[in-house]
Amino acid sequence: MRVPYAYLSEQFADVEPYIDDLRGLVASGEFTIGPYVEAFERKFADHIGVKHAIGTNTGTDALILALKAIGAGPGDEVITVPNTFIATVGAIVAAGATPVFVDSDERYQIDVSLIAAAITPRTRAIVPVHWAGCPSDIESVLEIADRHGIAVVEDACPSVGAQVNGRSVGTVGRVNGFSMHPLKPLNVWGDGGIVVTDDDEAAKFLQLYRNHGLSDRNHIDLWGVNARLQPVQAIVASRQLDVVDEIADVRIRNARRLDQGLRDLKEYVKIPERPSGYREVYQLYQVGVARRDELVSYLEAQRIEAKVHYPIPLHLQKAAMSLGYKRGDFPVCERQANEIITLPAHQHITTEQIDHVIGAIHSFYGANL
Amino acid sequence: MTKRASDTPVVPYAALAELTSVVKSELMGVFEDVLDSGQYIMGQELEAFEREFAAYCGSSYAVGIANGTCALHLVLRGLGLSHRDEVITAPNSFIASASSIALTGATPVFVDIQPDLNMDPDLIEAAITPRTKAIVPVHLTGRPARMNEILDIAGRHGLFVLEDSAQAVGSSLEGRRTGSWGDAACFSMHPLKNLHSFGDGGMITTDDEAVRDRMMVARNHGLSARDRCDYWSFNCRLDELQAALLRVQLPYLDAWTQERRELAFRYNDLLRQYVGVPEEGPGEFCSYQTYMVQADRRDGLQAHLISGGVQALVHYPTPLHLQPAAKELGYTAADFPMAVEAAGRILSLPLYPGLSHGQQDRVAELVARFYRD
Repeated sequence: MRVPYAYLSEQFADVEPYIDDLRGLVASGEFTIGPYVEAFERKFADHIGVKHAIGTNTGTDALILALKAIGAGPGDEVITVPNTFIATVGAIVAAGATPVFVDSDERYQIDVSLIAAAITPRTRAIVPVHWAGCPSDIESVLEIADRHGIAVVEDACPSVGAQVNGRSVGTVGRVNGFSMHPLKPLNVWGDGGIVVTDDDEAAKFLQLYRNHGLSDRNHIDLWGVNARLQPVQAIVASRQLDVVDEIADVRIRNARRLDQGLRDLKEYVKIPERPSGYREVYQLYQVGVARRDELVSYLEAQRIEAKVHYPIPLHLQKAAMSLGYKRGDFPVCERQANEIITLPAHQHITTEQIDHVIGAIHSFYGANL
Repeated sequence: MTKRASDTPVVPYAALAELTSVVKSELMGVFEDVLDSGQYIMGQELEAFEREFAAYCGSSYAVGIANGTCALHLVLRGLGLSHRDEVITAPNSFIASASSIALTGATPVFVDIQPDLNMDPDLIEAAITPRTKAIVPVHLTGRPARMNEILDIAGRHGLFVLEDSAQAVGSSLEGRRTGSWGDAACFSMHPLKNLHSFGDGGMITTDDEAVRDRMMVARNHGLSARDRCDYWSFNCRLDELQAALLRVQLPYLDAWTQERRELAFRYNDLLRQYVGVPEEGPGEFCSYQTYMVQADRRDGLQAHLISGGVQALVHYPTPLHLQPAAKELGYTAADFPMAVEAAGRILSLPLYPGLSHGQQDRVAELVARFYRD
């Protein structure tokens, strides 16, 4: 039985409703920001419960803009984790600041007990990543940040729909970013992102900066960039927003089934804690396993498409050389890099496929179901 | 979202939807193909478009980028510029020509323009200092800048030349396409460009394999492989979907350019006695992305045209060196008298494939009436 990792052609099997909307877009000629983007921004802001949402070209842009908006720049340090997608760190560097890493916890989230020790007089912000669609302990992060008078910028890129105690991720930090990359919970047909804030001043800056610094057609208040969300993608995102919670519910159900099916393999499979009050939407379903690389090959041979996100922590990437970190600096994250496996748990996987995956993992470890 | 008929000008500045309708069924076809493929980022449509676009420009390589601004920024960033470096460009361009320099940390240094509105090569050498690293000539309105002279100067001083071809796809100089002259060139595929995406889009062209390789990595987070990040960078990829839609239009581009040129020459004949018209210089092949005249009493003429139902625009009333964003560069209006004078005279008239002779005659009639009365 094949268990594919990709699901996009199934998710978008019926494109007729989109095509109708797109006909409207083409007839309007509004290809640069315009009513479709603005309508989506309003809808998204209301959906997650935030005052301002500003569509960006990518999730990376959303993070760069968020960091710029809180004033991060050369001379500043920004704290984040080494077990994230490159863009988190790329954005900090793009803003001109220096990334400072703290290790991850056993939920693959920022280890809040290590943050205070990483804070220096130069620290400007903490960027917790809601990794894999699972919220980090954002309440503790905020408390630490407030105590030190520094900002929180949530990297909520993989996590539309995730919540802590009923509050959506991306609504806690001062300015926060989401991605709408095709493999994210709220996904579009190419790249897309959103930066959100309750702060009117920050919102004003974000609007300016993402569109060349233009305060109107002929006036440039500051050197900005072109980081606009495409109207085509706003149309897709707007329709997806209507079903994003249903999709998350299916993923949550699938994750629970995997959790239950793997629980008896305690010796080989480490399932992260699932804290009560946390709504985890499983952009990736990740667990830690023994003999990981062998298991990945074993599953692949059976056409079960397992992946690794990611085998090399960011502090050990060539790009990080100038930061001066070495192997051993973040032992938890480094160990996890050798243990983590991502199993297909998306909304188009059937329960039979999930049970097949569970069975295959059992037979790999020579265990009986 | 649809405008009432009474709001619709007789001669709108652009007619995107009308032009799109010519190729709409083809666009919708490839649109569905891309959707069905489930491959939305950096797939075979992008690769194919890059090959076709490079061939079109007469360059060895093309790299698809999210927009023209990112394209400029990525190339300049790839030069490893620092806050001690300077880059020379023109002050009468779209913001991106200067902001892409400023955002690398380097200082934009402007040189004034010639009567044809492009950078004056005779003024470049005086602007070169030991800190100068590159020249960014702009092919404004689709008219090629004086590339022979610029390349000559750059060669003598060992400077990188990045053509800002944002407005100049399909233009050429002495039979050689813009975008194939410099060390690299950047194109925009914004909706108002002659070859456009349905949203933002951009391209980098180059003959230099090292530049190509670096840009392929730079546009995708610095990733040289899925799990190897060589340097921190951005996400500036051209969407697969936009690449597919651009591929559909590329074969039509020459015919659309031809139509623009015929309309531009017709405008020249109709308007020459009233305003300065954009005549082609020797060796130039202009794509007329913008049809820009230079007029006495410009603001009055613009108001007169608009009240007559003609959407005439100014690109742009304030030169870059006088924008609030440029304050710390310390320029004054006296620094670039040609650019400042031009900013008070330039006026862009509607020009696009599908513009009728009747509409052109209406524009000409209004211009004639304004100067006669």
